[in-house]
Amino acid sequence: MELNIQNVCKSFRDKEVLRDVSLTAYSGSALGLLGRNGAGKTTTIRIIMGVFYPDSGDVLVDGKPLDRKKIRIGYMPEERGLYPKKIISEQLIYLAMLRGMTKPDAKTACDKWLERMGMSEYKNKKLETLSKGNQQKIQLAATLMCDPQIIILDEPFSGLDPVNAMLLKDVIREMISSGATVLFSSHQMNYIEEFCNNIAILNSGSVVLDGKINDIKRSYPRDRIEITSQQCAGISEFVLSRMSDMILSADIDTEQDDTVLIRLKNADFKGRLMTELSSGGFDIDCFKVCEPSLNDIFVEYTEAGI
Amino acid sequence: MKNMIKVLKFEYLTCIKNKAFIITTSIFMALILLMTFLPGIISSMNSKDNNSIDELPVIAVSDKAYKGDAVVKKVLEKFYPRKEIKLVDEDVDTIKSKVDSFEYRFAVILDTPVTYTYVTKNNSLMNSDTSTLNLALTDLFRTVSFEQYGIPSDKAEQILNTSLSFQTITTGVDQTKNYWSTYILIMLLYMAIIMYGQMVSQSVVSEKNTRAMEMLITCAKPSHLMFGKVIGSGLAGLTQLVLITATTLASISTIGSQSIPKEILEFINFPLSTVLYALLFFILGYFIYSFLLGALSSLASRSEDLNTLTAPVMMLFVIAFFIVIMAVNSDSVNSTLMVVCSYIPFTAPIAMFARVSLADVSVIEISLSVVVQLISVYLLGMLAAAIYRIGVLMYGNPPKPSEIIKLLKARL
Repeated sequence: MELNIQNVCKSFRDKEVLRDVSLTAYSGSALGLLGRNGAGKTTTIRIIMGVFYPDSGDVLVDGKPLDRKKIRIGYMPEERGLYPKKIISEQLIYLAMLRGMTKPDAKTACDKWLERMGMSEYKNKKLETLSKGNQQKIQLAATLMCDPQIIILDEPFSGLDPVNAMLLKDVIREMISSGATVLFSSHQMNYIEEFCNNIAILNSGSVVLDGKINDIKRSYPRDRIEITSQQCAGISEFVLSRMSDMILSADIDTEQDDTVLIRLKNADFKGRLMTELSSGGFDIDCFKVCEPSLNDIFVEYTEAGI
Repeated sequence: MKNMIKVLKFEYLTCIKNKAFIITTSIFMALILLMTFLPGIISSMNSKDNNSIDELPVIAVSDKAYKGDAVVKKVLEKFYPRKEIKLVDEDVDTIKSKVDSFEYRFAVILDTPVTYTYVTKNNSLMNSDTSTLNLALTDLFRTVSFEQYGIPSDKAEQILNTSLSFQTITTGVDQTKNYWSTYILIMLLYMAIIMYGQMVSQSVVSEKNTRAMEMLITCAKPSHLMFGKVIGSGLAGLTQLVLITATTLASISTIGSQSIPKEILEFINFPLSTVLYALLFFILGYFIYSFLLGALSSLASRSEDLNTLTAPVMMLFVIAFFIVIMAVNSDSVNSTLMVVCSYIPFTAPIAMFARVSLADVSVIEISLSVVVQLISVYLLGMLAAAIYRIGVLMYGNPPKPSEIIKLLKARL
C-alpha cells in the first residue's frame, strides 16, 4: 500500500499553513515527519485524518482517494486526548466502536492491547488515576486497537521512561513488520533515525527535504574524516605538514582526546590521506567519513524558516 | 448514523452514571416524598400534645351573656356534635387551671353576646377553634335575636342556613383550574431547558479541555458527535424528569391524598393534556437551546470562557421567560406580543405552552408554532454542527462573531 499526499494546500483565514505539500509513505515502513513547531505537521496529519479538508490537492491510497471507511487509520495525537474521568476499558471500547468495530471485537481488542501494554490491572480504573507515562500507553492502545493499516504517531515517546520507550519501540517495530504504514512525527531525532527509512522535513508549510535518510546523508560532501588512534597528536601534525595543500584543518576532538577530525578541501583526497597515513606507520583504530547527523540536517533546513 | 447512535448511547450512559446527576435526582425525589409526607409528619409530631387535647371530651362555657339560656348549649352542640358542652359557673382562674390540667378541651367565657374569651392550652397556626366559635356564637346571637322578635328558633335556623347551589359552565379554558399548574410547569420548563442545555455545554467544553476531542474528531463526524451528545443528554434529562414526575404522582396518589390538604391538591391538579404539551415544548425548547449552547461552547477552550460565550443565549431565554410570566400574571396570554412570541423559535416553547394551557388556541396555531420550532431545530442543528466542526479544534481566545461568520462562509 502506498499513501500519497499530493500537492496539498491549506489556508486558515488569511494564513497559508500548507503550501503544495507532497509526501509518500509505503506499507511496511515508517515515514518521519519533521518540522519545527508550527511548520504544518499537525495540519497535514489532520488532513490525512479527514478532520480538515485541503483547499486543493488529494490524499491518495494506491492512486485512489483515501476511503476512511474502508482503510483503518490509528491516530495518536500529540495532545493526548481521552476522558480522564472515565473507566479505561469503557472509553477504549467506545472509541474502537466509533471506528466501526463490533462490541465483542472491541472488548477482545481492548483486553489484548491492555495486556500487550502491561496495563491489564488498570482496566477498570479511571484514566486520571494513572501516571503520565501509563496514560500514554493507554493512548497508544487506543490508537492501535482497531488494527490500523495506517498509523499516525505524533510525539509518541514524550514522557516515557526508558523501559516503556523500549516497549513502545517493540510495538511499533511489530506494526511496521506486519505491513502497516507508519507516519511518525517527533522532535527526538534518535527515534526517527531508529525507525524511519524515509523522512520529510516541513518548514513554514512546505516540504523542504524528503527522501531516504541514507541517501540524504550520502548527498552531503564526504569531506570530513574522523580518525581514532592513540597517536592523534602525531597524526594531526603529520597530515598538516605533509598534506597542507589538501587539508583545511586537522583538530583533535575536544571531547575525546583519541580522535582527530580532519576536513579535506575535497572529498576525493580521502584515498590520498589513507595512503599517507599508512606510509607514516601510525597505529589507527578507526578511519571513517563523518556523516551529518539528522539533527544537523534538520537544523540546517529549518533554521532560516518561520 | 450508526456512529451517532453509539455517541448517543455513550453520552446517555455517561450522564446517567454521573454522580452529580444521581445525587440531584435522588435529592429531588427525596424532597418530593418529604413534601408529601410533611403535613402528616408535622401533625403526628404535634399529636402527642394536641391530639390528646383535641380528644378531651369537655368544652366549658361560662355564660355571662345569656344567663344560662338552654339555647346556648343547643347551638354549641350543633357545632361540636362529638363534644360535651358543659355550662360552668367558675371564675377565670379556675377555668384557666382546669384547661391547663387537661380537664377541658378548651373554655369559652361569654362576656356579652358579641365578646368572648377563648381559653386554650396550646395555640397554633392551624388552630381553627376560634373560627368555628365565631360561627357558632354568631349563630347563637342571631337565633336569640330572632326569638326576641318572635321568630321561633327552628324557623330562624331555616332562614339563617339557606345556602345557594350553583354550576359553572366554561366554554373555553378554565383558568381557575389551570393557573397554578401552568405557572409551575412554565417554571419547570424554564429550569429544565436551562439545566440540560448547560449540561450539554459543560460536556462539550470538558471534551475540548481534556483534548478527548482530538481523538473523537478522528473517529466520528462532528455532526454525529454533536447530535449524539445533544440527543443523549436530552434523553438523560427526560429520564430524570420522568423519575421525578413518577415519584410525585405516586406519592400524591398514595400518601399525599390523605396528608396533603385538599385545597393544595386542587391547586396542583395537572390536566393530562397540559402535561403532554409541557413535554412536547420541553423537547422542542431543549433542542433549540442546547444546539445553540453546544455550538457556542465548542468555541470555548476553557470552562471560564463559557459564561461569556453563552451569555447572549441565556439572556434571550431569560427575556422570553419574563415576557411569558408577565403575560400570565396580567392575564394577557393572548396579547399581540405573546402571539408573536409563540412563533419566534427562541420564545415559542414557553410562550406557546402558556397560551395553550391558559387560553383557547386553535389547533392550526399550535401546529404552526410546532412546525416553526421543528424547522428551527433542524436548521440550528445544522448550523451548530458546522460551528462545532470549526470550534472543537480551535484553541486560544474565543473568536468574535464576525470571525465565526467568515469561517462558516468559507466552509459553504
